Formats: sequence, structure tokens, C-alpha cells
Amino acid sequence: MLDNVFVKTLRDLRRGLIGWGAGIAATVGIMGAIWPTVRDMPDMESFLENYPEVLRELFNFDEYMTASGYLNAELFSFMVPAMFLVFGIMRGARLVAGEEELGTLEVLLSTPVSRRRVLLHKAAALVVSVVVLGAVLFVSTALVMAAVGADASLSEILVGATSVTLLGVEFGLVALAVGASTGSRAWALGASSALAVGSYLLFAIAKIVDAVEPYEILSPFYQTLDAGPMGGGFRAAFLWTLVVGAVAIVAALPLFDRRDVPA
Amino acid sequence: MRIGGFAYAGGAVATAIKTLGLTKHFGRLVALDEVDLEVPTGIVFGYLGPNGAGKTTTIRLLMGLLRPTAGRAEILGLDSHVDRDELHRRIGYLPGEFVSYGDLTGEQYLRHLAALRGGVHWPDVQLLAERLDFDLDRRLGALSHGNRQKAGLVQAFMHEPDLLILDEPTLGLDPLVQREFLALVREAREAGRTVFLSSHILTEVEEVADVVGILRSGTLLVVEQVESLKAKALRRIDLVFAHDPPVAELQRVGGIRELRTSGTTAHLVIEGSTRDLLAAAAPHGIENVVSYEADLEEIFLSYYNQETE
Repeated sequence: MLDNVFVKTLRDLRRGLIGWGAGIAATVGIMGAIWPTVRDMPDMESFLENYPEVLRELFNFDEYMTASGYLNAELFSFMVPAMFLVFGIMRGARLVAGEEELGTLEVLLSTPVSRRRVLLHKAAALVVSVVVLGAVLFVSTALVMAAVGADASLSEILVGATSVTLLGVEFGLVALAVGASTGSRAWALGASSALAVGSYLLFAIAKIVDAVEPYEILSPFYQTLDAGPMGGGFRAAFLWTLVVGAVAIVAALPLFDRRDVPA
Repeated sequence: MRIGGFAYAGGAVATAIKTLGLTKHFGRLVALDEVDLEVPTGIVFGYLGPNGAGKTTTIRLLMGLLRPTAGRAEILGLDSHVDRDELHRRIGYLPGEFVSYGDLTGEQYLRHLAALRGGVHWPDVQLLAERLDFDLDRRLGALSHGNRQKAGLVQAFMHEPDLLILDEPTLGLDPLVQREFLALVREAREAGRTVFLSSHILTEVEEVADVVGILRSGTLLVVEQVESLKAKALRRIDLVFAHDPPVAELQRVGGIRELRTSGTTAHLVIEGSTRDLLAAAAPHGIENVVSYEADLEEIFLSYYNQETE
């Protein structure tokens, strides 16, 4: 049953997954249900043209009148990525630092399971839980778009779901790594949230300030969302999110292994 | 200070715990200062000291949860930090503030820890739970503090470890369970295991320990056989008589350090055993005996005074 730390952690994540999965499916359902109305609105295009340049760029309004453009603007540019980030960061911060603050980590660390293994199992469970949430997003988007007769292809939806899943994985792993290295949930939440907000600002500012544009490639939001994300296809830049997440965990392994775990 | 060279019954025995200049600072606070401690295998060692003396810090250093600022600890011949995982296999540990997963039942929790440890015989767990009157089927979060503490005891004993490290193990246990716990400790010793338990209450430790170490403000004051510590301990006792206390007779009893009376009550401080005192007082009609927990601080002070006299 709860034979290892991975399974135990997944069990801990299960209730959150159910809630977040339902929330994401509901969000997708509502936005999808509105789509036919938006598509048939006669003055939509001129309405969108009145938006400021930066918003039109950030949310790709130029593509708004296609189903995938609509999904990009309404779901995949901000709302759904934000949900994945919050889920990943909150859970990531809780898995080690939260257990430490509760006091349950002490017994776990007194078993023969090494601290490195504990962290790796927790990281794996976190990745799996975000992927499950991504699967919920993919399935619910595909079902809703089919139900309203939209022309978004499954492969495009898969790209969209993958891009936000990667964002959740990356920042979740960073939060887990900071939490494991410091033992503080506040640090884990603070550092990874600050990194997420900073990355988003870089992505957004690069759209309007030419001098910043060369650096946009550093932002995970640019790496995953810039080409749509739907419509852009799978891009090599996606892999940077996994690289950063993995590096954060690998860097945390020796720090967690060596540090004091105070009462 | 260095303390050592005790002759234990059984002569030369292997060492379960050996610390060398073990020191821990938290910022500017010196929690533990150059502690040299040697605990042979096969005994029950009581680690005594008032709250804040550094008992938990020592234990967390032994468990590899903290890194020493200086010095080192060798447990079962292995280094507390380098060989941490291997040591954890052979140690049963009860933290001072034991916190379990509240959403699991006792059985789920213990099966989880048993799976992480490997090699735990489940019927042994059931037997332990039965002896401590621990309900395996209830959610841990729904249990009282004392009942949750039982889960902590079971997980510490269940893999029959070579060394048990128990931080204030009897906290919150009712007297019947405490008795069963002491029986478990004695059985562990009889099976050749070593038990290291901390407490801030002397009577709790003197009942079961062979040797005690006394810690104050991060410094190990003394390591002593329990018998000789008992003989030196100062105890407060109030005797309530039917009539006026027989002051003259009481004063003749050996070891009386202090004697005051108020009404029919005699307030005494006595060193060592109270047997002679009670024998002397009995013929005068004792109505009630109130004995107070021996104050460790006083024991240390009296010990210190005798050492320096």
C-alpha cells in the first residue's frame, strides 16, 4: 500500500488533485461554452483592435477569432498557467518544508530511507501530480471543444496542455527544492513565486521594450507560451523548463542531505 | 569536563554510544558544550536534565538530524553523520515531539514506516500495539496525545533495533501504559539491546535505568550509577501527623538536611533513602505522606557541593 515515500506523497496530493482538477475542468467548460457566442459576435474584431498593443501581443488577440486563438487568449496565456503555477508552487513548498514544519518529517528522516531518496520520491510524486492535472486539462479541453463544434485539433490542445504542465512542473520543483534546502515553507513559496512573477514580467515587458527583448528567451513563459502555445507545436525550448526544474532538485540534494533539521 | 572510567558489571563491553567533544551552537547560543559520553551496550542509560539543558539537542545530534559544530558521535561503532542511513536501520527513535500523519490510521502509519524500514514482522507490531493498548484502526488525528504517543513507541520498538533512543518517552502516557513501557525497556535490555532515554524527572528514570548522565546548560555534569545517585538525591517530603510532629526523633534520622513544621505537618528535605525517616516517624501516627518530585536542579547542586567539598 503506502510502500514508499513516492506512493505516500501521491496519496497526500490526491485530495488537492481532485479539487484542482475539478476547478480546471470547470474553467475550461465555461470558457468553451462561451466560444460559439464569441465566434458569432459581429463586431468582435474591431472591438479587439481597441485593446492596447501589449495586451494584444501577450494574449495573441490577432488570432482570437479562431478556436485555438480564443483558447490561447482566454485560457492558455494567463488563467490556466496561473492555476498550474499556484498548484505546483503550493504543493512543492509543502512536500518537504511543510512536513518539516508540521513535525512529521522527523520520523520519516529517522528511517533508513536516505534524505536524497526522500527528496527524489517527493519530486517524482509532484511531477506526476502536475502531469495528472495536465491530463485533466487536455481531456476537458478536447471534450468541450468537440461539444461546441470548434476546430481546435487534438495535437494543438496537447501542445497547450503540455506547455502549462511544464510551467507547473518547473516552478513546483523550484519550490520543492527551496523548501528542502531551507526547511522553510515561507522561503519556498516566496522564492518560487518571486521567480514566477519576475519571469512573467520579463516575458511581458519584452513585448513592449525593445531593449529587453533579447532576454525574453530566459523566461519560462516565453519558452512555453510565446508561440501560442496552441498552434506553435512542440518546441525544443519547452525542454528548458525540465532542465531548470531538474537542476533545482539536483542542487537541493546535497543541501538537504547536509543541513540541520531542527526540532 | 571528562567523565569516564566506570566499572560496569560484566567487565569490558562494547560501546553503544561514544561522543567526543560533542558541541552544538545555534547562532551564539551554546546548546551543547564538549560533551564526552560513553554508553556501553546492553544497559539502560537515563539522560537527565531540566528542560532546555540540551537533552534533545544531544539526541538529534546522535540521530544525524543535526550536524555537530565540533566533535563527533560514534554510535554502534559508526559515525552519526557519515553512516546515518545504516545507523537508522539499527536505531529505534522516538522524537521529543512525536508527530504522526493525522490522516492515517495507526495501522496505515505503522505499515508505511515498516515498509520504509523493511524486515518488520507485522505480528510483532500487533503484539506491541496490544501491550500498549493502542488501537490500530483509529485515525491518528482523532487520538489523544497519550494515544498518539503510543504509535511513536510502537514504531520505535517494532524493528527490534540494537539501540533505542527515546526522547521523553513517557510524556502524556497514563500510569498503566507507563508500566508496560518500562517492561518493554527492561525486556529490550534483557535481549542485549541498549536503551538511551531522556527525561527531566528523576523518579521516572531511576526506576529503569542502570546508569544516568546529568546534563545542565549544555554541560554533562556527571555520569553515575543509579544506585549511588539515589543515595545522594535530595528529596522533599511532607509528613502529616495526627498530633504535633515528633521533631526530636525526626532530627536524629540520618540525612535530614532541612526540617520545618507547620501545625501537625513536618516539611523535610532528606538526602538519599527515606526508609529510616519513615521508620522513625511511623510510631507517631502518620496520617499522610506527601512526597515531591526530586528537583533535578537541587540534585545537581547537592552533587556539585559534595564533589567540591
